[in-house]
Amino acid sequence: MKILVPIKRVPDPYARIRLNADSSAIDTTGLKFEINPFDEIAIEEAVRIKERSGSEVVVVSIGAAECEEQLRKALAIGADKAIHVETVEKFDSLGIAKVLKSVVQRESADLVIMGKQAIDDDANQAGQMLAALLDWPQATFASKVELTDSTATVTRETDTGQETLQMPIPCIITTDLRLNEPRYVALPGIIKARTKPLDKIELSDLGATAECNVEVLSMSQPAGRSSGRKVASVDELLEALRNEKGAAI
Amino acid sequence: MSLADQATHSSSGGSFLFESHPPIAIPENFDSDVQLMADTAFQFARNEVIPLIERLDEQEEGLMMSLVRKACDLGFGGPDSPEAYGGLGLPKSVATRILEMLSLNGSFSTTIGVHQGVGQMPIALFGTNDLKSRYLPPLTAGEYMGAYALSEEKSGSDALSGSAKAVCDGSDYVLSGKKMWISNAKWAGSFIVFAKVDGQEFTAFIVERDMPGVSISREEHKMGLKGSSTARLILDNVRVPAENVLYHPGQGHKVAFNTLNIGRCKLAAMAAGQVRSALSIGTKYAKERKQFGKPIASFGLIRDKIARSVSSFFAAESMLYRTANLIDRAFASVDPNGNEVEENRKAAEEFQIECSLVKVFATETLSYAVDEALQIHGGYGFTEEFPVGRLYRDARVMRIYEGTNEINRVFAFDRIVKRGLVEKLADASPTTVIHEFLIRGSRAAKDHLGEQEIVACASDLAMLHFASQSANVRAEQLKASGHANSEVALAAASHFEAVATTTAASRLIELLDRCGLSAKVEMPAVSFAGSATVSEAAFEANGYPL
Ligand SMILES: Cc1cc2nc3c(=O)[nH]c(=O)nc-3n(C[C@H](O)[C@H](O)[C@H](O)COP(=O)(O)OP(=O)(O)OC[C@H]3O[C@@H](n4cnc5c(N)ncnc54)[C@H](O)[C@@H]3O)c2cc1C
Repeated sequence: MKILVPIKRVPDPYARIRLNADSSAIDTTGLKFEINPFDEIAIEEAVRIKERSGSEVVVVSIGAAECEEQLRKALAIGADKAIHVETVEKFDSLGIAKVLKSVVQRESADLVIMGKQAIDDDANQAGQMLAALLDWPQATFASKVELTDSTATVTRETDTGQETLQMPIPCIITTDLRLNEPRYVALPGIIKARTKPLDKIELSDLGATAECNVEVLSMSQPAGRSSGRKVASVDELLEALRNEKGAAI
Repeated sequence: MSLADQATHSSSGGSFLFESHPPIAIPENFDSDVQLMADTAFQFARNEVIPLIERLDEQEEGLMMSLVRKACDLGFGGPDSPEAYGGLGLPKSVATRILEMLSLNGSFSTTIGVHQGVGQMPIALFGTNDLKSRYLPPLTAGEYMGAYALSEEKSGSDALSGSAKAVCDGSDYVLSGKKMWISNAKWAGSFIVFAKVDGQEFTAFIVERDMPGVSISREEHKMGLKGSSTARLILDNVRVPAENVLYHPGQGHKVAFNTLNIGRCKLAAMAAGQVRSALSIGTKYAKERKQFGKPIASFGLIRDKIARSVSSFFAAESMLYRTANLIDRAFASVDPNGNEVEENRKAAEEFQIECSLVKVFATETLSYAVDEALQIHGGYGFTEEFPVGRLYRDARVMRIYEGTNEINRVFAFDRIVKRGLVEKLADASPTTVIHEFLIRGSRAAKDHLGEQEIVACASDLAMLHFASQSANVRAEQLKASGHANSEVALAAASHFEAVATTTAASRLIELLDRCGLSAKVEMPAVSFAGSATVSEAAFEANGYPL
């Protein structure tokens, strides 16, 4: 089985984010970048499947030259091959889903595992859109995945509890936080990754184009949180939670 | 891969004394693979080690060993040991960076540091292929730990005076004696043991824990580093095959001292990791603790503690990776088809002055940083409820082992003189005030090698010059490359230079007076203004900002 894992380069989730001078984008000077944490969970899941049953794991990233760093890390974690669609164009979720569709077809992937959302724009759309474009079944927000040669059984986290779905393969799975705990990137893996293939291709090689119908008008920092207060007893706490505006049980 | 790719021009040991503004290797130029390795090391220390430190300090049975095994599974068992024998064959500078990031806690740092360092290095550098293939694979895999047994009860700094003995008997040696202060003793499967053949010839052996006659005493009752193992190794007529001799009989001092040279550089990395802990604990507490209606982080004296710690650490880190890179380059020129062991020995020896100076400077930076981190905690720092007390106690040993700072100070200037570097220095044109002080001081001190008070002053001048030049060159390189942190780096370097220049002046005054010379020293204006930028950056970053 060939598993495709799309990964996105995003700011380090623990970094302090600042805006640039005209608030049109975040200021990236000195900012550390990482693999989107949900995507790292997807890589981990794919690599575990590979370790259990010998599939091939291909990672793909769409973006500027620096994405190579994240692809190398994915190879160090255990992916077999990386594809870098190198472009500086802007995309929205649908634009990305369209490019990914071409990659899935080019690679003849059987399964796509990807993050449910990226922590930069938190759109939570690309996986669902890709499923629609490919006309494949999908299971989003996965917290457990079990595979046979022809089916995927996926437990999903929903607002009302857990839901278990079974779908035929090929299909799309998007990952939630509790699916697994990504491993440490072992040093021998980092060394080995240097000799693994990393293909650089362009949009035109896929017959794809950059599409972006979403325009960012402005960005702003979230308002600062006002400081809390200490309550004297549980009763007072309950009272406050019940009656004060903005508090909730 | 390594900083060696930044190869500038070939340097020989001690050339920092007279080169003006040489390009140097800086940690910011580690490639992304090395950054990833360092990240793994840091995450491991933060997520796996730190949550266990109380239990480690209680010496919970099996806990440290399982942690070290976990670390070895990730490749931390022998980053710079040869690939053919289970190591990763990484350059010393990379292994040094990894060790720095693993070293957030002193006990774990010493344990893994000895295991991958002095517990293996003598075998990697001086062992025959047979010895390497017998001992390095289980060591790097973490099947057992490595240890290094040089000190004895009556022989510490004067390490060659030990009384452990080896008597040749057929194709074996029979070893007897007691070694003291042996880190990792409890968990070690192999020990590098130094003993005198027939009471004369100082020789290095590999001794296995399971050899009949080997035993380990109870743990020493220490003031800090309680999670590490420190015990005595007792050798009661232990039969060791002659092929377990490392290098040549009678040449054990070369094994001991050259291993220690690199060990000192790595020790500086172990100090560095702990400075990082002190800075993050100190800045965080200062922001949370309020007095007089404001966080204490807003008070000038608190900010100054952080600024001095950061600037001094920036200098220590700059010296450290500069030195590690020089060592890499010395090893890179070792011809594996030539006399590898002999060339390894020379490579390990070449930068002995730098190694001693960075050991002293980094461990004293650590002492300052943990002391002030504790001070920032006020009375709470004096309790066991906060982690800073442990950090303070753990740090104390760093000035004692791997050669006390006294021994390293004396050694460094002695080497400067014996290598004829004072003459070269006399011809150099001074690049900074500290450099000028150094030139003047070393010229006066070179005829007083028997007077340690003078020698230590001269050594300090060399150290301050090395530190300040490394910090300045690194900051300038960062600026030239448009690095995001260059402003903070420049501020740290200039703040450090102000601190170092005033210290250097007082060292020179003392030196000249003790030499019976006129002690008039012109003191130029210096600026401490950089400290504001430095402390601001540290509070924003919740720790070391560079
Ligand atoms: C926790 C811990 C772990 C250790 N681990 C190891 C290990 O794994 N393997 C190992 O072999 N050893 C180890 N040691 C031993 C350590 O290396 C020695 O303690 C150190 O070398 C100092 O020796 P000493 O304790 O005998 O002190 P001494 O040599 O007696 O020194 C006492 C004081 O006198 C000073 N002094 C001595 N000689 C001179 C001189 N010529 N000029 C000026 N001042 C001088 C010293 O600087 C020091 O301040 C460890 C020690 C500790 C505490």
